[in-house]
Amino acid sequence: MASWSPGLPDTCGWNGVTCSDDRNHVVALNLSGYGLSGSVSSKFAGLAFLETLDLSSNSLTGPIPPEIGHLKRLKTLNLQQNRLTGRTPDELGGCSALQVLSMADNMLQGEIPSSFGRLAALQVLNLANNQFSGSIPTALCGLSSLSYLNLLGNALNGAIPPQLGNLSHLQMLSLFHNGLTGSIPAEIGKLQRLQLLFLYENQMTGIIPHELTNCSSLEELDFFGNSFSGPIPETIGKLKNLVVLQLRQNDLSGPVPPSLGDCNKLQALALADNRLSGSLPPTFRFLAELTLITHLAIINLSHNRFTGSISPLLGSNALVKLDLTNNAFSGVIPPALGESTNLARLRLGHNLLQGGIPSKLSRLRWLDFLDMSSNNLTDEIPSDLSNCTRLTHLLLGKNRVTGTIPSWLGNLHSLGELDLSWNELSGKIPAEIGNCSGMLKLSLQDNHLSGMIPPELGGLTSLNVLNLQRNNLTGTIPSAVLIHCKKLYELRLSENSLTGSIPSEIGQLIELQVILDLSRNHLSGDIPSSLGNLIKLERLNLSFNHLDGQIPASLEQLTSLHRLNLSNNLLYGRIPAGLSSFPVSSFTATKLCGAPLTACITRSSTSDMSRLSNAAVAGIIVAIVSISAVVCVVLLCIIIRLWSKWREVSVSNSDGEECKEKHERRGGGGGDRFESYWKIGSTCMVTSSEKQSSTSETSILQRKMAAGGLDDSGS
Amino acid sequence: MDGVSPLRLPFPSPLPSPLLIFPRYPRMASLPVLLPCLLLLLAASPALSTNPEGEALHAWRARLTDPTNVLQSWDPTLVNPCTWFHVTCDSQNRVIRLDLGNSNVSGSIGPELGGLEHLQYLELYRNNFQGKIPAELGNLRSLISMDLYGNQLQGEIPKSFAKLKSLRFLRLNNNRLSGSIPRELVFLSNLKVLDLSNNDLCGTIPIDGPFANFPLQSFDNNSRLNGPELQGLVPYDIGC
Repeated sequence: MASWSPGLPDTCGWNGVTCSDDRNHVVALNLSGYGLSGSVSSKFAGLAFLETLDLSSNSLTGPIPPEIGHLKRLKTLNLQQNRLTGRTPDELGGCSALQVLSMADNMLQGEIPSSFGRLAALQVLNLANNQFSGSIPTALCGLSSLSYLNLLGNALNGAIPPQLGNLSHLQMLSLFHNGLTGSIPAEIGKLQRLQLLFLYENQMTGIIPHELTNCSSLEELDFFGNSFSGPIPETIGKLKNLVVLQLRQNDLSGPVPPSLGDCNKLQALALADNRLSGSLPPTFRFLAELTLITHLAIINLSHNRFTGSISPLLGSNALVKLDLTNNAFSGVIPPALGESTNLARLRLGHNLLQGGIPSKLSRLRWLDFLDMSSNNLTDEIPSDLSNCTRLTHLLLGKNRVTGTIPSWLGNLHSLGELDLSWNELSGKIPAEIGNCSGMLKLSLQDNHLSGMIPPELGGLTSLNVLNLQRNNLTGTIPSAVLIHCKKLYELRLSENSLTGSIPSEIGQLIELQVILDLSRNHLSGDIPSSLGNLIKLERLNLSFNHLDGQIPASLEQLTSLHRLNLSNNLLYGRIPAGLSSFPVSSFTATKLCGAPLTACITRSSTSDMSRLSNAAVAGIIVAIVSISAVVCVVLLCIIIRLWSKWREVSVSNSDGEECKEKHERRGGGGGDRFESYWKIGSTCMVTSSEKQSSTSETSILQRKMAAGGLDDSGS
Repeated sequence: MDGVSPLRLPFPSPLPSPLLIFPRYPRMASLPVLLPCLLLLLAASPALSTNPEGEALHAWRARLTDPTNVLQSWDPTLVNPCTWFHVTCDSQNRVIRLDLGNSNVSGSIGPELGGLEHLQYLELYRNNFQGKIPAELGNLRSLISMDLYGNQLQGEIPKSFAKLKSLRFLRLNNNRLSGSIPRELVFLSNLKVLDLSNNDLCGTIPIDGPFANFPLQSFDNNSRLNGPELQGLVPYDIGC
C-alpha cells in the first residue's frame, strides 16, 4: 500500500483502487490479501459509488460497521477469511444492488438477518464457517435471483423452510455441518436448476420426499450422516444427471429402487450404514438397467441387510471400489467380477458367500485390497491369483479354504497384510513367504499347518505381528526369525508342537510389546536370561511347556510386564522377588517356591541346628543328670569310707597299736592282710578284711574272747 | 474450521491407469462466470469430511517426509483410516494404535494427533521427528503408551501431559528435550515406566506419586538435572 499517500493527487492510481471512467469516483476497492488489520472502517460508507469492496484474506477484526448499508451501488461485498466478530448488522439489507455477498470464514455470531431478504438482486450468499445460530430465515426465500446459498459450517438449527422452493434459480445449496432438524420439504422439488444439494452431517429426519426426484438438474446428492428414514425414493431414476448419490449413515430401509438403473451417469453409489434390505434379483429391471450404468466407479452398500446374489452389481467395467462388507449376500462370487478390470478395492467380507474363489479374479491386475473374510468359501486358493501382483492386503480369514499355502505368495512384493487364519489349510508354511519384505502382519493361526517354521521368515524384516498359533507346527523356533524380524511387537506361537529350547536370540526383539506367547508347546530347557531385555513387553506366556531350570533373575527387569504365565512347567527354585506381585496362577503346577507361592524349604545349617538343639537339649540334660547321679553316688561311697576309716583310726589309734604288737607277738596276721585292730575294754580284737561279713568278724572276736588269751595287763 | 475450498487429493493415486474416481471438484464449466472470488465460495464436494480421525492423520502426513513410503496406504478418500497400514482401529472404527516406530520418517509431531480420543498406543520411536512435543497430545485421554524415544525432539515436556490419566508407559528418552520435569506428572497414578534419559532436562526430579518408584537410570544423562527435589527446603524451580 505504499502508493497510498494522501499527498498524491491521483487516488485512482493507488494500488487496489479502481475509479470510474471519468475518474471522479472510486468504484472498486480490491484489498484482498494486503495484510490489513484493525477493524473495518465505517468511512468506507463515504464511497457512495463503490460497486466492489473486497477486503478478503486479511486479518481484520471487530464487527462489520452498519454504515456499509449505505452503499446503494455496492454489487460485491467480500469480507471472507478475516477475523470479524459480532452480529451482522441489519443495515446490510440496505445494499439493494448487492449481487455477491460473502462473509465466509470469520467468527460472526447471532442470527442471519432477515433484512437480507431485501437484497433482491442477490445471486451469491456465502456465510459459511462462522457461528451463525438460529434458523434459516424464511425471508431469504424471497431472493428469486439467488443461485448459490452456502450456509455450511455454522450452528444453524430448525428445519429447512418450505419456502425455499421459491428460489427458482438456485443451483447450489450447501447446508452441511450444521444442526438442522426436521425433514426435507417436498417443495424442494420445485428447484429445477438445483445441481448440488449438500445436507450432510446435520440431524435431519423423516422420509426423503419423492418430489426431490423432480429436480432434474441434480448432479450431486449428499445426505451423509443424518437420520433420514424410510425408503430411497422409488423414482430416483428420474435424476438422469445424477453423478453422486451419497446416502451413507442414515436410517434408510427397504430395497434399492430398480429405477436406479436409469441414472446412467452415476459414478459413485454410497448407501453404506443403513438398514437397506432385499435382494438384487436379476429378473428385475434393475439388472437390465444397471448394465447401462457404465460409469459406476464406486459402489458401497456395506453394513446393510442385503441378500441374494451380487451378480446384479456387475456390469460396469469402470468399477474401482466395490464394498459389500457385512450384509447377507449369498451364492458364489461371480467370476464376472473379473471383468471389472479396474477394480482396486474388493471388499466382500462378512457375508454368506460360498464356493471357491474364482480364478478369473486373476484378471484384476490393479487389485490392491482383497477382503473375502468371514464367509463360507471353500476349495483351494487359485494359483492364478498370483497375477494380482499389486496386492497389499489379502484377507481370506474365517472361511473353509483348503489346500496348502501357495508359494507364489512370495511373489507379491507389495503384500503388507496376509490373513489366512481360521481356515483348513494344511502342509508347510512355504519359505518363499519370506520374500515379502514389506509384510507387516502375517496371520496364519487356526489352521492345520505342519512342518517347521521356515527360518526364511527372517526375510520379513518389516514384520510387526506374527501369529502362527493353533497349528501343528513342529521343530524349533528358528533363531533367524528372532534376529532379523526386529520390528516385531506381537509374537504368538502358542498351541503348536514346537520343541527345543527358547533361543537366547529372543532377547533381540526389543520392540516386543503386546505379547510374547509360546505357551502350550513342547519347549524344554531353561528360560533364557536374555528375555530380560524385552523391557517393553506387557504380556509373557510360557505356560504348558517342559521348561526347566530356575527363573532367571533378569526377568525382574521387565518393568512393563503386567501379565505373566509360567505355570505348568518343570521350573524349580525361588521365584525372583521382583515377580512376587504376580498372582499365584502365574506359577502353578511347577516346582517353584517363594512369594507368591509358599516359602521355600531349604537344607541350610541353621535349621539343622535348631532341630538338633531341640532333641539334643533333652539328651544333654539326661546325660548330665545321669552322670551327675553316678558321680554323686561314687562320691558318697568314698566319703562314707573315709569317714568310717577316720572314726576307726581316731577311736582306737593307740590301742590299735598295742593290739597290733600283741597280735604280731603271737605271730598272727600278715602284713599283706588288711587287719584292723579293735580294743574293747582290755580285749584286743582283730578283724580281718578277708572275712568281710560282720558275722565272721564277730566270730573271730568271739573266738578270741573264748581263747581267753586276752591280757588285762597293759603290757 | 475447514476452509470452503474443495478437498483435493494431494497424493497421486498409485495406479497409473486412467481411473474414474468420482469427481471431487466443482464443475467450473457449468457455472456462470462470476468474479474470481467465487472460486473460494464453492463448497467442498460430497462427504469426505466424515471421519475426523482420518482427516487429522492425513493433515499430519502432509507435513511429513517419508522416504521409504511407509505411509503410501494412507488414502484420504477412504471413509476411515482403519485399513491404512500402521493404523489399528477397534471394532467401532476408532483409531487405537499408531505404529510408526523405526520408519525413517521426519517432520514434526502434529497437534492434530491430539484429536485421536481413543488412541491407546502412540509409537513414534526411532525416527527423525523434530520440533516440540505439541501440548495437544495431552488430550489423548485413552493413551496407555507414548513412545517418542530416539528422535530429535526439543522444547519442554508439556504440562498438559498431566491429563493423560490412563498413561502407563512414557518413554521420551534419547531426544533433546529441555526445561524441567513438570511437577504435574506426579498426578499420573497409572504411570509405571518413565524414561527421560539422554536429554537436556534441568531442575530437580519430583519424588511424589509414581516418581517414588522410578529408578535413577530413568533420568540418566541429563547433565543439568540436579537430582531429587528437596521438598519444603527449596522453592519450586521456575525455569532453569
